[in-house]
Amino acid sequence: MARSEGLPAGSTVRLSPADDFDEVDLVPVQTFWQLVRRRFLQNRMAVIGLVLMAILIASSIVFPIIGGDAWFKTSLVHGPKDPISLTAPMGYDNLGINIFFRLMKALQTSLIIGTFAVLIIAGIGTAVGSISGYAGGLVDNLMMRFVDIVLSLPGFFLVIMLVAFMGSGNVFVIIFAIGLTGWTTAARLVRAEFLRLREADFVQAAKALGASDRRIIVRHMIPSAMAPVVVASTLGIADSVVTEAALSFLTFGLRPPEASLGNMLTGAQDYFYRQPLWVYYPGILLILVVLAASFLGDGLRDALDPRQRIEA
Amino acid sequence: MATYILRRLIQAIPIMIGISIISFLIVNLTPGSPVDKFRSPRVSPETIQNLIRLYGLDQPLIIRFWSWFTHFWTFPFDKLAWGYSFTDGLAVRDKIFQRIPSTLLLMGTSLVVTIVLAIPIGILQAVKQYSWADKLITTFETVGYAMPTFWLGLILKQTFAVQLNWLPLYGQNALGKHDLPDMLMHLILPVTTLAVISVAGWSRYMRASMLEVLRQDYIRTARSKGLNGGQVIRKHALRNALIPIVTLLGLTIPSLLSGAAITETVFSWPGLGWLGVQSVIDRDYPVVLAVVMIGGTMVIIGNLLADIAYAVVDPRIHY
Amino acid sequence: MTRADGQGDLLAVEDLRTHFATSDGLVKAVDGVSLRIRQGKTLGVVGESGCGKSITALSIMRLIERPGRIVSGSIKFDGQDLLAMREEDMRDVRGNQISMIFQEPMTSLNPVYTCGEQIAESVLTHRGGSHKAAIGRAIDMLAQVGIPDPKRRASEHPHQLSGGMRQRVMIAMALSTDPELLIADEPTTALDVTIQAQILELMKALREKNRMAIMLITHDLGVVAEMSDDVSVMYAGKIVEASDAVSVFDRPHHPYTRGLLASIPRLGEKREKLAVIKGVVPNPLNLPSGCLFKRRCPDAMPVCDTPPPLRSVGDGHVSRCWLAPDGGKPEIGENAQATEAVAAALTLTVAAP
Repeated sequence: MARSEGLPAGSTVRLSPADDFDEVDLVPVQTFWQLVRRRFLQNRMAVIGLVLMAILIASSIVFPIIGGDAWFKTSLVHGPKDPISLTAPMGYDNLGINIFFRLMKALQTSLIIGTFAVLIIAGIGTAVGSISGYAGGLVDNLMMRFVDIVLSLPGFFLVIMLVAFMGSGNVFVIIFAIGLTGWTTAARLVRAEFLRLREADFVQAAKALGASDRRIIVRHMIPSAMAPVVVASTLGIADSVVTEAALSFLTFGLRPPEASLGNMLTGAQDYFYRQPLWVYYPGILLILVVLAASFLGDGLRDALDPRQRIEA
Repeated sequence: MATYILRRLIQAIPIMIGISIISFLIVNLTPGSPVDKFRSPRVSPETIQNLIRLYGLDQPLIIRFWSWFTHFWTFPFDKLAWGYSFTDGLAVRDKIFQRIPSTLLLMGTSLVVTIVLAIPIGILQAVKQYSWADKLITTFETVGYAMPTFWLGLILKQTFAVQLNWLPLYGQNALGKHDLPDMLMHLILPVTTLAVISVAGWSRYMRASMLEVLRQDYIRTARSKGLNGGQVIRKHALRNALIPIVTLLGLTIPSLLSGAAITETVFSWPGLGWLGVQSVIDRDYPVVLAVVMIGGTMVIIGNLLADIAYAVVDPRIHY
Repeated sequence: MTRADGQGDLLAVEDLRTHFATSDGLVKAVDGVSLRIRQGKTLGVVGESGCGKSITALSIMRLIERPGRIVSGSIKFDGQDLLAMREEDMRDVRGNQISMIFQEPMTSLNPVYTCGEQIAESVLTHRGGSHKAAIGRAIDMLAQVGIPDPKRRASEHPHQLSGGMRQRVMIAMALSTDPELLIADEPTTALDVTIQAQILELMKALREKNRMAIMLITHDLGVVAEMSDDVSVMYAGKIVEASDAVSVFDRPHHPYTRGLLASIPRLGEKREKLAVIKGVVPNPLNLPSGCLFKRRCPDAMPVCDTPPPLRSVGDGHVSRCWLAPDGGKPEIGENAQATEAVAAALTLTVAAP
């Protein structure tokens, strides 16, 4: 027989935690960025990447300051046979330069070059991608053909050419060359986002309110499209740092007395037999930079991607 | 299919033109001129002028471009279609043709080794996801992929060739020898350098692709039909997992070429990459131009092959 | 008290428990499910999404994967204990004696093989023979499931077929080995209503022809009424009511079943609001104590804090509720704190008729 709704008055009902009807499945509402942060912090590799990157950046700032001119000051007193000490944890090289401080200075240079190159990449990429994606049609077509052309050029070789012809050893040239050849991926990402966003409701709304194209692009669409660019840029730092190191290794990039992870390797290779560590130190540091940037970039991508993948 | 290939080839033409223009501009607009290395107090200005006229450097850019461009494509017939090298006066075409086989050998062997190793490793990792083997391999992959090519090459070179003396130090053949075993010995180190990093990257892709496929409904269907694990993987999962890998293969050809440049230089492997690097150092512009063009062409061909392979492998693609 | 094993029971599932150890906690997806399917009869398993009906089916097929695990229970098929079998022997059963079709025809077929190949694979795996013969049988089956121009379709790939046709291919594949039991997990949910009707007609015809038992899983009561001989209603991992189809539809006992039936709008009815069951399905990680349905039940009483037993309320009709068989107040009183012994003392049947 059908009965009245709810419980008879006066009855005692034993409540257990799950019985409170209103609290069923209520999770405190979080903003998008809070969710992103939470996902990021739950990802072990991402946190490792962040911490590692922070350590590297901090080292590249602090140690060169502490060391002063130790990174290029040669010495007749110190040499490879010196035992390692607190002030010279990696010893001295054949010119009497303190290896540790030279390494830190090289790290600083590499990170600076990498960062600025990535900024150029992000800048050109966003500009090209947003115009292409927003305009669509013929403009889009032409720009994408252009991207195809740039992509078909042998990238690293082009960098070598640009650097060699425009001035080896010039930091600005290096940054410029790496940036000029690497923007294509960012452009494609931004374009893809723009194509998607063009039809999005909030963009249609802005248009209906009479906002100009430029305002729509800059104020509304670029912020949304930035997420993949940020991820690509973080991963791109690894690439740029390695490219710079390769350039310097092949003597196109920075030359001594400038400190670069690449040219430290060039110098070290002839001494590998006696001093294998001289080769390992810069190499391992390079690997650490790449790992830090990769973990960080992957972590950002997973945190920003609403379609979560399940990790063990 | 034939129309598809034809269509893609036609689409490649404007790209080719674009590459030509950009390469030409870079080489010719950058500061410095090929004749600069001849300038010295002992060389008279007239000689320099003659040289400029000889190299056609006094003509307007457009004319120079057109002249070079039209001549470039006659290379199957004309030995001098690509001009003379500034460093040793040899026909550029000959220099390049001589080097191409070496680069292809290096690239080809690395690619084969990569495929042979990366695919099984990736599959293993996906099938045994979260196992200690998976985690261990992932660690190696992560570190391996993060290594710079030249550093690894350096270490391998110094360890195996210099210190242990097990393998030859550089070049493709020992002086005077032309036999296969000798060349294979020389091939080992450069290929290992490229392969370690390559395998690290590809097995990650394979693992990811395989994992993606194993989550699909049709895998569950296959199991519900009573197929055993091996059959499910070999027949149903593998073919689907390989599809994205095949596409990616074509798209990584550009980076293969860059990797070639560095590896060949480290090991003095007589290939196109090393020639390119050398000629940039020497400001040997005709050679540089030709190398860039060849590189670009190889990229376009690689992309085309990837697209064709993709259309062949995935029945859902209409062409 | 358990009823004796009935004659002609093709499948007997007894107290099946399948649990998932997720990172958020233990999910008891199937928690003590028992059901019987008689030879040649159709059992409709009804319930909302997430109630565990699909997991039950996958458990029967032993297709549960990490982090899921069949924790306890027994599954007897045609005299064999499926859970005790070796995996190789289970493979002989899968796709052969028990076949399964799934909800999503769009993604359940492998895109890189032709339809004919995929059907032939079943035939070759379980019946052997030549490839040519297997393809022949595949074309045969395609014709049986009503696909026009079967020879051409057999050499086409799944993406060239519509959803309805793909489901027919799935059915053809499942039936190609002449199984005794077909498990159909929401076979028509993803299809248009008109196609739905066609597929159901097809299944009825084939069932007739092959004298096949069917376990039909669905949330659609209309489909159940159309196809089933017996019905089991599931809620939150447990069976809450089970009987033959007529009894369940005419004399529903459990408040959940009654709620489900009441919520179906009928043509010609004059209503202002649709009748709904208030509340939502409980979070499997945070199940209430006592009766799992009590928070949504219009008849909830204090005694519902003790989990009700599955008890007999009619001839071959069981319900997991404290209410008396006629729907009146429980025999032990509304406010009683029932103990296990008391629950056991009530007439219990642990299986569907």
